[in-house]
Amino acid sequence: MNMLRLLFPFAWRNLWRNRRRTLITLLVVSIGVWSILTFNSVIRAWADGSLASSLKNMTAEAQIHARGYLDQPDIAHSFAKPSGNLEKVLDGPLVAHWAPRIRVPAIVQSEYETLPVTLAGIDPGREVGVSFIGEAMAEGRNLDDASDAGVLLGRHLATRLKTEVGKRIVIMANDANGRLVERGARVEGIFAASSEMEDQFVFTGLLPARKLLHVQQQLSEIAVMTPQDIPLAKALAAMQNTAPGLDIEGWATLQPMTRGIHDLTNGFIYIWLWVMFVLIAIGVVNTQLMAVFERTREFGLLQALGFRPSWIVLEVMLEAVQIIGLGVLVGAIGALMTVTALSGGISLSGLGLSAGADFLGVTRVLYPRLDVSEFFVTVVVIWGLGVLTVLWPARRAAGFDAIEAMHSN
Amino acid sequence: MSVIVECRNLVKDYQQGETVVEALRGVSVSFEKGEFVSISGPSGSGKSTLLHIIGSLEQPTSGEVLVDGISLSSESKRELADMRLNRIGFVFQAYNLLPVLTVLENVEFISQLQGVDTATRRGQARKLLDEVGLNGLEDRLPAQISGGQQQRVAVARALAGNPAIVLADEPTANLDSKNSDELLALMSKLNRESGVTFIVATHDPRVIAHTRRQITLTDGQVTTDQRQAA
Repeated sequence: MNMLRLLFPFAWRNLWRNRRRTLITLLVVSIGVWSILTFNSVIRAWADGSLASSLKNMTAEAQIHARGYLDQPDIAHSFAKPSGNLEKVLDGPLVAHWAPRIRVPAIVQSEYETLPVTLAGIDPGREVGVSFIGEAMAEGRNLDDASDAGVLLGRHLATRLKTEVGKRIVIMANDANGRLVERGARVEGIFAASSEMEDQFVFTGLLPARKLLHVQQQLSEIAVMTPQDIPLAKALAAMQNTAPGLDIEGWATLQPMTRGIHDLTNGFIYIWLWVMFVLIAIGVVNTQLMAVFERTREFGLLQALGFRPSWIVLEVMLEAVQIIGLGVLVGAIGALMTVTALSGGISLSGLGLSAGADFLGVTRVLYPRLDVSEFFVTVVVIWGLGVLTVLWPARRAAGFDAIEAMHSN
Repeated sequence: MSVIVECRNLVKDYQQGETVVEALRGVSVSFEKGEFVSISGPSGSGKSTLLHIIGSLEQPTSGEVLVDGISLSSESKRELADMRLNRIGFVFQAYNLLPVLTVLENVEFISQLQGVDTATRRGQARKLLDEVGLNGLEDRLPAQISGGQQQRVAVARALAGNPAIVLADEPTANLDSKNSDELLALMSKLNRESGVTFIVATHDPRVIAHTRRQITLTDGQVTTDQRQAA
């Protein structure tokens, strides 16, 4: 402790013997830390936005199906509306929203075109907070309720069908008995979403869809969203325990591609962190080595005066603790200010990237945020590892032969 | 008088390419407490090597050195560092001071490493600076004082740790005659007053004339060892 009290100010003064070099080191560390933390929060916003968009594209965080539905998604693989314990879990604190759906392959026909689609019978009130529908109306109106017999088409599908709001189309699908059934419906609204969603889905009320398919209380799917503070695994386990005869899966299983992209994005954050850290470390080690070699005679003198080799290591390390600590602090404050300034959202449309964002299924506005624990872990890890890299020049300084060092130029 | 340093049959060889240079060839010499000794000789005679071995900065190829009864050859690196810190003071030809510390801090530095409390070491450092005639320069950095003043600070620092011996390697080599005379007078005075043994390696006749015992080395061997009458 006494030695620390002696060496701390000694190291600080040595640090500022070469102001220019110290300021350059400070700049390298600060910019490195700033870029790691800022880039991290932007990429995290990208990953979160991408995941949120994906989940809103009719996936949700979890889905409940009859066994076999995922292999053959027809009305024959349906299940009765939830009751008993499963209903209790769905209406309990582990679930924020759940939406019952009919979801079957169908054919939609206009006077010009016939196209394959997925018919989704929904309760529009239950879809709020679960899927994009309702937030994405481009023309016309949303469905009023589960008994609304009108249909909603995607913008692109409507163009391909050469139809529009107010016109009628015909929907055909296989009913519960395997017979092809059809009904005419009025286009009540056109929605705008990702091109995949616009082409794939035709929405109608849950009750008219059941009626068309000749089922009473059956459902193809229940989409589930959990509260932010509840781990998905916990909600999944609760639902699986109460309905062992149903397929209940999380989004990572249902959408392996989304999971892969999410993992890749997170991996990219760590790659960036390491690339920047290596650059910082090279800069710091280089300047510390220069500082050590410039002071070779001084380290020889210190040894002659009775400085233990471990004190020399400590002195050089303390210089690193101070300069890296200061750089990390400046970089972290800079990142905090940058992310706070950007927390209102970065509009990708404003940057001319909206088409790319739509293609990738990412939200058009990114909301960077700093995760407090991640922020502190990153800062401490960079500081700690940065100081450790200086162990090498520090050991070099401690290893000088006193006489040779004092006779060096 | 008691023996403070004892050198027994010291041999030091250096390998230079394929040639072995014999810097010391069986030097046996003792130094008593309170002596003021010069070790002189031509360049390459081995005087600096002998001083470095006594100061535990170099290891002899063979032979043994005892400082205050402790054999240096049996000590670890850390123990040798502690030995230098607590028992040996050094004054070198140049580059003696730590440039980021003030004059006062340079003098305090050794006793601070020894763990002496602030008030004691500061009082002692001020007293030593007073004795070497540098009152008023306490807050100056080494670059802000002359070479002669820097050597005086080095002498004060060498004594600040209450060493058993002070080893000075060509302390006047970079000084003009006036500053040399002043430094020698100061070292003589401190030697008399403190009773600390001063061993000075030099080829400067003025330094040799100031010392009470003169040892001459030639080709790594002691050729003369003369004591002046008290």
